[in-house]
Amino acid sequence: MRERNVMLLHYATGLAILLFGGIHIWTLFFTYPFQGTIWETTMRFDSMPYAILPVYRNTLLALSLLGLLVSTTIHAFNGLRIILAELIGKRNIWIERGLFAIGAFLVIYGTRTILIAHMLV
Amino acid sequence: MSQRVRWSTALQNLKTMLIPGKYGLERWSYTLQRVSGVVVSLYFIAHVLETGSFVGGVTVWAIPDYDFAERAYREAVSFLKNPIFDAGLAVIGLLVVFHTINGVRLVLAHFGLVLGSPRRREILETPASFSNRQRALFWLSISLAIFAMLYTLDALMGVFRP
Repeated sequence: MRERNVMLLHYATGLAILLFGGIHIWTLFFTYPFQGTIWETTMRFDSMPYAILPVYRNTLLALSLLGLLVSTTIHAFNGLRIILAELIGKRNIWIERGLFAIGAFLVIYGTRTILIAHMLV
Repeated sequence: MSQRVRWSTALQNLKTMLIPGKYGLERWSYTLQRVSGVVVSLYFIAHVLETGSFVGGVTVWAIPDYDFAERAYREAVSFLKNPIFDAGLAVIGLLVVFHTINGVRLVLAHFGLVLGSPRRREILETPASFSNRQRALFWLSISLAIFAMLYTLDALMGVFRP
């Protein structure tokens, strides 16, 4: 992939994070009913209207979390790749492969978390 | 091209990257964008691992029963709910919002959208890539970031509640 197109992918995933991350923060922070901190309202393990589990049970919101996971992983690890290339002065295939492996593990592990929370009865 | 990494050069480049010096606000924005990006990336990795422990950790790969999940959830919450992590999250909120707005500014600059029309420049003039509108966006990112930090502190610790 040409570096120019990688940069466009970086911007596209950044804008995707703006969308999905906005939804993520909205469901966490802005729905708390001003009755207490989010430790007392959102972060409760039950079916309160604003608690965290219904967010994962909702298919659309779970899909948006998946989109956030994938786009943030691409954006973050591409950013780290760019910074490392700037620091050592050139691209290094082993650094890029290592970053790719860590990113792939994060996507798999995060998808597992989302699926379990989605299907928990 | 050899694949050997010269670590001494990398260390010197790191020093250059982290110290903006006298090169102006745009250079500060470059450094802050990289530092906030790296810190938020490390937070993102920690966040994926930590939310994994909310459903029982790395050993659970099937749907656990409700009681087990509830116990794992309460353990994770009791681990996370302390003032140090709350303050850390407020810093993350600051960095994320700065990185977002400054990143939008960079995307706009990449496509030449808020740079103004081209004209002849004099020597030692402020660079064309950092126009007044670009500057305004930079300071907007700083102020929104500070607001996000205060909001996060309020949402997590209730510091602005009567």
